[in-house]
Amino acid sequence: MRTSLFMAGAAAAMLAGGAPLAAHHAFSAEFDGTRPVTLKGKVTKMEWINPHAWLHMEVRGPDGKVISWAVEGGAPNALLRRGWNRNSVPLGTEIVVEGFRAKDGSNRANGRDVTLANGTKLFLGSSGTGAPADGRDSAEPRK
Amino acid sequence: MRNRGLTSLAIIATVTVVALAAVAVRVMTTGASTAEPAAAAWTASRTADGQPDLQGIWTNYDSTPFEIFDAGDKPGLYSGDPDGTARGTGPASFPNDVTGRKLVPRKSLVVDPPNGRVPIMPWAEERRNYALAHIADSWEYQTTWERCITRGVPGGLFPTGYGSGYQILQTPGYVMILYEMIHEARIIPLDGRPHVGPALRLWNGDSRGHWEGNTLVVDVTNYNDKGSVATNAASQRVRAIPQSEALHAIERFTRIDENTIDYQVTIEDPKVFTTPWTASMTLNREPDYQMFEYACHEGNQAMPNTLSAGRAKDTARPATRTQ
Repeated sequence: MRTSLFMAGAAAAMLAGGAPLAAHHAFSAEFDGTRPVTLKGKVTKMEWINPHAWLHMEVRGPDGKVISWAVEGGAPNALLRRGWNRNSVPLGTEIVVEGFRAKDGSNRANGRDVTLANGTKLFLGSSGTGAPADGRDSAEPRK
Repeated sequence: MRNRGLTSLAIIATVTVVALAAVAVRVMTTGASTAEPAAAAWTASRTADGQPDLQGIWTNYDSTPFEIFDAGDKPGLYSGDPDGTARGTGPASFPNDVTGRKLVPRKSLVVDPPNGRVPIMPWAEERRNYALAHIADSWEYQTTWERCITRGVPGGLFPTGYGSGYQILQTPGYVMILYEMIHEARIIPLDGRPHVGPALRLWNGDSRGHWEGNTLVVDVTNYNDKGSVATNAASQRVRAIPQSEALHAIERFTRIDENTIDYQVTIEDPKVFTTPWTASMTLNREPDYQMFEYACHEGNQAMPNTLSAGRAKDTARPATRTQ
């Protein structure tokens, strides 16, 4: 049921063509579309808060140093409609997040795909904020 | 990017033509009343005190553009991207709700004037354009939505991409509409009492309702001049247009079948718009939809992050700063 809902949502979004969702704030006011970032690490907290969810994680650098990152996602109700739930990323889950860095240089990012160890991909993005069209947002037009 | 925009326009144009054709067919079919006896048989149920029953959980995901697009529109600016580095935003892309019902996009939410364009005075567009180009400079330039104050009345009912749940409850003498987004409740008296005095100015105005047949008509006055008729990016060119204390909204809620409320709002503000204009949309029944407490301020990380991004930009360009 959950899967079918997610698939239905993705299909519906694809059918919609180039009409992205509208979000609380503008992507480019906060994040830099020219600075993509890939974060690998463990989930330390998932904040199901409006107007945007925040996923917190610890990322171990090449020097062994652990750095905390905060990753912005869509609104809780938007994530639920895409198939996310409280069990999607339990604490300690190893994930890979692809997103874009904050303009102020802090360890914050706008999240796009979250990939789990088994290869499952979840779309975290806050669609329609104006994030660069990279083909990963299911609300983007398909070529 | 440009090609994508043109492709999107082409898709929208195609969808619009198909949608209009579908509407035309429906209108023609409805006109021949003997062809659809089932549709004619539906009657609105009543509450215990005799009001037409609007109660339930409703959503309004809708991929219809707010206005008919014009070549002079600046979608990047309206979505808060004056640098043009992002892809801009458009109407919320939900052709179906979660129950699988097809939501047919129309030409525009604006139905009057017939050209689908809101008659905005130039000064209001200029003030808005300046504000949206400076959203990283101060909270004052951000909309009341981004500041977690309100999406406004009627703006709180304009479609957006998420958090578009509404609960309507009716008691003798009152209708209450709970808005999921920003968590607001409108309590609308139906007893014919006059509006509050002119000294009282309110973010969401003062609502007074009455029934005209099966239609709930709500008259809204006494606005302050701090908000906007529309706040979210899906409202495109109407987003963040300032409202004056002269704003007057007349809303009409009509339940047209079990699953649909037709919502129309006529807006007049002689200091902002050259003529009154009307938008039309539907509220779609979605009984399984769950609304969350919004708690907007607590989670509004976008505000400090946007302002800190602006300060980082200032630091990166010291030549532009005064000594």
